[in-house]
Amino acid sequence: MSILTVQLGQCGNQIGFEVFDALFSDSYCSPGLCSKKENEAYQASCKERFFSEEGNGDLVARAVLVDMEPKVINQTLLKASQAGRWKYSQHACFCQKQGSGNNWAYGYSVHGPRHEESIMNLIQKEVEKCDSLSGFSIIMSMAGGTGSGLGTFITQKLQDQFPKSLKMNQVVWPYGTGEVVVQNYNSILTLSHLYRSSDALLVHDNDAIHKICEKRMNIRQISFSDINQVLAHQLGSMFQPTYSAEGSFHYRRSPLGDLMEILVPHPEFKMLGVRSIPQMSESSLAYSTFTWAGLLKHLRQMLISNAKMEEGINWHVRPPVSGLPTLGKTPCNKELHFNTSIANLVILRGKDVQSADLGGFKDPALYTSWLAPADAFNAWKTQRAFNKYEKSATLVSNSQFLVKPLDLIVGKAWNMFASKAYIHQYTKFGIEEEDFLDSFSLLEQVISSYCNL
Amino acid sequence: MGRRRRRLERQAGAGAEALPEAIAALSRTLPTRPNPETFRRAKFDLPEAAPALWRLLFHVLLREDDGTAVPYPEAQVRLVKSALRAHGYPRPALTQLPEDGSQGSRELLLALSWLLAGGSLLGRLLTRTHVLTGDQMPMCECEDLAHATACLDLPAPCKDTSNGLDMRYVQWLMGKLRFRWLNLICGHQEQCALLSKIHQYTQGCHSNQSLGHLSAAETELLRDPEAGQQLLWRLERENGRLEAALEWRRLEPIFWQWMDTVLGACPQCPSDTGPQPTFQAAISDRGHEELELVTRELQALWQELQLAAEARRTAWEAQVQIQGLELSTPQVLVSEAMVERQLATLRQAWEQWGALPHGPHRLVRCESRALPGGGLWGTEAIKALRSKAACLEAELHWLQGQCQQELAGLAGALPEVVWIPPHGH
Repeated sequence: MSILTVQLGQCGNQIGFEVFDALFSDSYCSPGLCSKKENEAYQASCKERFFSEEGNGDLVARAVLVDMEPKVINQTLLKASQAGRWKYSQHACFCQKQGSGNNWAYGYSVHGPRHEESIMNLIQKEVEKCDSLSGFSIIMSMAGGTGSGLGTFITQKLQDQFPKSLKMNQVVWPYGTGEVVVQNYNSILTLSHLYRSSDALLVHDNDAIHKICEKRMNIRQISFSDINQVLAHQLGSMFQPTYSAEGSFHYRRSPLGDLMEILVPHPEFKMLGVRSIPQMSESSLAYSTFTWAGLLKHLRQMLISNAKMEEGINWHVRPPVSGLPTLGKTPCNKELHFNTSIANLVILRGKDVQSADLGGFKDPALYTSWLAPADAFNAWKTQRAFNKYEKSATLVSNSQFLVKPLDLIVGKAWNMFASKAYIHQYTKFGIEEEDFLDSFSLLEQVISSYCNL
Repeated sequence: MGRRRRRLERQAGAGAEALPEAIAALSRTLPTRPNPETFRRAKFDLPEAAPALWRLLFHVLLREDDGTAVPYPEAQVRLVKSALRAHGYPRPALTQLPEDGSQGSRELLLALSWLLAGGSLLGRLLTRTHVLTGDQMPMCECEDLAHATACLDLPAPCKDTSNGLDMRYVQWLMGKLRFRWLNLICGHQEQCALLSKIHQYTQGCHSNQSLGHLSAAETELLRDPEAGQQLLWRLERENGRLEAALEWRRLEPIFWQWMDTVLGACPQCPSDTGPQPTFQAAISDRGHEELELVTRELQALWQELQLAAEARRTAWEAQVQIQGLELSTPQVLVSEAMVERQLATLRQAWEQWGALPHGPHRLVRCESRALPGGGLWGTEAIKALRSKAACLEAELHWLQGQCQQELAGLAGALPEVVWIPPHGH
């Protein structure tokens, strides 16, 4: 089953390119230890999900590119055609001459309705190319204007027009020290609206990925392209094929549907985060070996101590002793040490994957009291290595990890809102104070739901 | 009923020695193919026959042959008991059997015969394992549905609910159901798209001119000759079953006579004043079964009507009391017109339901305008299904409305509690 990617705004288009490139290079790199037949099945599965094939055998990304300025889309198309390995469809781009000026309201209320028909037509055409559509992956930033405002609008329209298809929004969380003064307003408007119309919000934190580039990949001058490659690696390791069941060698048919069923069935808990290990530069990779036990021990501690990468993990955090009230139940204003999960999915790729012991993730103390580990924990596996890593593990988690940053953003936005700063920029385009208040109350509710696990 | 009984007796007298054959034929027709000796042991209530019979009943009542895991024996026992209860099995002795599945072989034999006596069981089992070579399209599945709803009432997994169930867990399960539902729809759409491709690409390949193209199963045979062996094996197995079923039909009376002796060996239970299990053997022809179904439906409808009329009447009386006799003629006319309109909609819906085509159909892509005998155009089928969906949706809305009213009533009883509707779906 296929997934249609909708790339929105500068951020969405740049990330989208890296994701397709990562998927392609992983699928068509040397298969390593796995058999030719298995490798072909893996490639076919990836192709069905993310690419369509033209008559001459060229692979075309299942994607629609949308931006209000032509620059980034042109760059993206150029990059894809220069690499010459796969391409975007010529008729799947939509761009205009004038951006949204980092104003969510402009993207949502002006660009959205004005270009709704053209964009939805493009999407409809791409949907018709799929034998079966599992759902949409919508890549956008959270704090800008076009990606966030228009992206939110398009997500709502997708919900109206394709109510039976799944929608996962890849939301890029802004730098804490972002340069856009209204980024907190944009963020709360994006998140609250997406909470109503999307099935899952996969949050990518710019700050965290920046640190991974710096500490793990040893990159001196970190560019957006570096950050996006790390992000694409994480997404690729999530969505590349895995076996459909323990002991089976068939690949999963509907990764998006299965993932959502496992992680986000509850409508109040839709926030997902992804962590991958190991992550390191190619040069150090050649001199490193890994064991499943070591990787999983690190990954588990990253989960419970809410660490974004394998460096600087706080090893003192322990799960609460079962039977006693969990730390997660303490009120939010106290510092959360232990990160309680609702549901986790671990994806293992590589050699001897069947021997990996996942017992550490099945501890009931890791999870909320109303879900047993049998409901809350799942593992996907494949023997095929991912992206040159002999062994790699990815954790997709629905947990309290976002409570603090979300609380921070809501708090900052509220302080600005209380002094009515910049509100006229929004009311000018039809986003009223009432809409802000709705957004605040919805996000407060989300925070409190996550706090009271 | 009496006539059939007499016929049974006459035939049974002729071939008492054929009992082992009858039982062997029955066992070859049933899914787990139990050892015929199991039946003889069960007559004497020997414990060693019990596990095989529990397993058999489990497969007969609940399990599709889809290769999914079979639950533990204890769970099987619980599932069988509850499925029998849902089917309306009358003997209380069965429910009192221990859950480890070690005892009660005679009770289980009685239960099995009770199911057989219902008449449609073997037919349904044979349909379930029927080997398909064409692309089937189920039309009206009312019989399947009746069966499925009987099976739906399964016992909840043994969970300690004394601490109360967290509402969030229920919401979680609801969400899971929603995603599975979407996944299913998506899978079904994919299947349709691929079937359409197969039909298009294989146009003109079929030896049968009226079909024109190959089905998915036939295409698979071309692709993979190994699958041909598999198919042959499955067809042979099905043939064996069908032959056994024919043999069983011939020898059935002998079995029923023997069952009378089994029942005779059963100690009479004083509280069991319900109908004798053999009574059911008489109602085996289709007409009776359908009649029963219709009668039940009619009774349910009648009760519903009574309730609704009662509620209307009280509401009306209350209204009249308030308004006195101020009701004007136009108002009466308006409400009469409304009632008539509602009645017409109901009638129309009913007629459409009645006109629905039944049973599975082979899906065939057809270029010509002519419709083969007994055939049905896709557009007609879609129209019929749409109207059915609309009817069901209307019913769902009505039920949801009822639930909301009930909830509102409950909420009203707790004035100090604030109710906030959830966001999301």
